[in-house]
Amino acid sequence: MTVVTTRPTIWTVLKWALAILIALIALFPIWWMVNVVFSMPGEPVSLNPRLWPTSLSAGIEKIRVIFTETEYLRAYGISLIYAVLTIAGVLTFGSLAAFEFSLFDFPGRRILFGIILLSLMVPTAVTIIPTYLLTSQLGWLNTMHGLVVPGLASAFGLFMLVQFMRAVPKDMIEAARLDGASHFQIYWHIALPLCRNAMVTLAILTFMQTWGNYMWPLIVSSKPQLYTVGQVVGLFNSPLSHQTVDMVMTANLLAAIPPLLFFLIFQRKIVEGVAMSGTKG
Amino acid sequence: MPFLDISSVSKSYGTQGVLENINLSIEEGEFVVFVGPSGCGKSTLLRMISGLETISSGTIAIEGKVVNDIEPAARGTAMVFQSYALYPHMTIFGNVSFGLRMARNTKEFIASKVAQVAGILQLNKLLERRPGQLSGGQKQRVAIGRAIVREPRVFLFDEPLSNLDAELRVQMRAELMDLHRRLGTTMIYVTHDQVEAMTLADKMVVMSGGRVQQAGPPLTLYDDPDNRFVAGFVGSPKMNFLPVKTVEPASGGVQLSGIAGNGTAFLPLEAPGLIGPIEIGLRPEHIRILPASGSEAGLFLEGRVTLIEELGSESFVHLDLDDGTRMTVRAGRDADLSAPTLRLAIDLSHALLFGIDGDRIRSQSGPRA
Ligand SMILES: Nc1ncnc2c1ncn2[C@@H]1O[C@H](COP(=O)(O)OP(=O)(O)OP(=O)(O)O)[C@@H](O)[C@H]1O
Ligand SMILES: [Mg+2]
Repeated sequence: MTVVTTRPTIWTVLKWALAILIALIALFPIWWMVNVVFSMPGEPVSLNPRLWPTSLSAGIEKIRVIFTETEYLRAYGISLIYAVLTIAGVLTFGSLAAFEFSLFDFPGRRILFGIILLSLMVPTAVTIIPTYLLTSQLGWLNTMHGLVVPGLASAFGLFMLVQFMRAVPKDMIEAARLDGASHFQIYWHIALPLCRNAMVTLAILTFMQTWGNYMWPLIVSSKPQLYTVGQVVGLFNSPLSHQTVDMVMTANLLAAIPPLLFFLIFQRKIVEGVAMSGTKG
Repeated sequence: MPFLDISSVSKSYGTQGVLENINLSIEEGEFVVFVGPSGCGKSTLLRMISGLETISSGTIAIEGKVVNDIEPAARGTAMVFQSYALYPHMTIFGNVSFGLRMARNTKEFIASKVAQVAGILQLNKLLERRPGQLSGGQKQRVAIGRAIVREPRVFLFDEPLSNLDAELRVQMRAELMDLHRRLGTTMIYVTHDQVEAMTLADKMVVMSGGRVQQAGPPLTLYDDPDNRFVAGFVGSPKMNFLPVKTVEPASGGVQLSGIAGNGTAFLPLEAPGLIGPIEIGLRPEHIRILPASGSEAGLFLEGRVTLIEELGSESFVHLDLDDGTRMTVRAGRDADLSAPTLRLAIDLSHALLFGIDGDRIRSQSGPRA
């Protein structure tokens, strides 16, 4: 490959300036959070903004206090279980359904798929009360399955996986059939590996979504034992909370770390997955 | 009883008929080639044999057992696709062994089987690679290996060479013939390249419009086609067709007149009741170019040269006759092709007659018209 260097035009400079500006605006709150956390308690935070943290040890101490003296650690666990179960469910059901929808013909396929796509357009606010009533009638309030099950079937996930699996050549499915693979084996050995990137992307998006989900956990579990990170952070933030500002910030920062880490680790996969959706497996 | 018997098989998608009343029997070990223009139903017929496509009516039987309702994998057929359809996420070993693994064979058995097949197809060095890292010809060999390893009773090939360049195609063709000789397994091969069909086939099946037009050894189809379609389809360059206006009975044969204009000829053909118009079919090699001067007996035609294809050892001369009929004539190296118009002598002993419905008109006394 030959590298062609051209002198940056005014447009490239402007583009970069704009991109850097947007990045700064997006990053500043997070940086500010770090700033507040890693400083001595009581140091002024809002007026005369400091741009650098002042005390590493003070920050670590705050984190220790949050983990040991509040409900935070358990909430972390609950959130993690909630996210992992949801991801497992969304991937399993989504990929099984996408396999049938994209590679096989059956009566009512188009109509069913249409209905599923239609459900994408209904806002959560509309469905949340019926879902709550149903969950409550099943006696699932304040349970882990009450938290997880309603989120297992994701229309978006199905849609995304269908786009991917459509790109699997029919010949390949038929070759596997001739090779003696059963229906499930074709799914397992051919379709799934071929849309691995899409699965990873969907897993990450689902993680972000469940981790950040505030409304449903709040509605379905009133017992503190089942609080998710989002709810606990909400408690820290509430007006009646007796926590100081820097403790609240610490709670916020800890809540933001998992999705950030996740994103940084899988960033390339996400971009690949979104870029490749529908073109090839 | 034939090894593979296709009897009154039809196929339709909804109301659209694709194959109509196909009857065909194939012997064990035969190399059968389905050939025909695009869309005539070759792939459909092949896929019905493999079980990938359902049979609308009729039966397909292998070794006397009707397989209509038998799962594809259980029919003992293996297929090589035009697109190769290799599994891109598996190594070549994984690809070739996939069927064996699905059948839960032991590791040792799989390894020895794959090694054997890799030996036959020279895949040994490629086993750890992935399909994306192979050339077209290598992919093709892997696809064949995946079929061989299952030891099928019938190999099915759907235009396996059409993605290869011309040189590789010739080489793979030779390899396929060699493979057939070594394995002795029945092979059914689909192509729309009639040269490929002629060179590979023990039995060539010419299809058109969802019907089998004729089936038989390639040379039989070449020399003795049943209808105008087969006559025109088999052979390159194509057979020439000369229109004949009228046919009158004469003693010991028929008198033809209005051949490509006003040519006349007597044919010693026992065909009572034959009336015109008809067409005469003539292969390019059965027409002779005459020297500019001189007179000989027989049927002569005169044509204006439109194109000369020089192939080295021979050349093909394309001409337009007076009435607009196009002709192709084979000429040797020594022929003088410099004149703008050429005189042609026609050897009617090789002529084939076709009615306007396209059916062959055969002599009722002898084997050849
Ligand atoms: N699933 C289908 N639904 C409707 N019609 C079909 C379907 N599959 C094939 N056909 C039709 O059946 C006819 C035969 O198709 P087929 O693929 O067997 O042709 P072919 O002889 O293999 O042609 P080619 O040389 O181009 O591969 C075509 O007219 C095609 O349009
Ligand atoms: Mg075809």
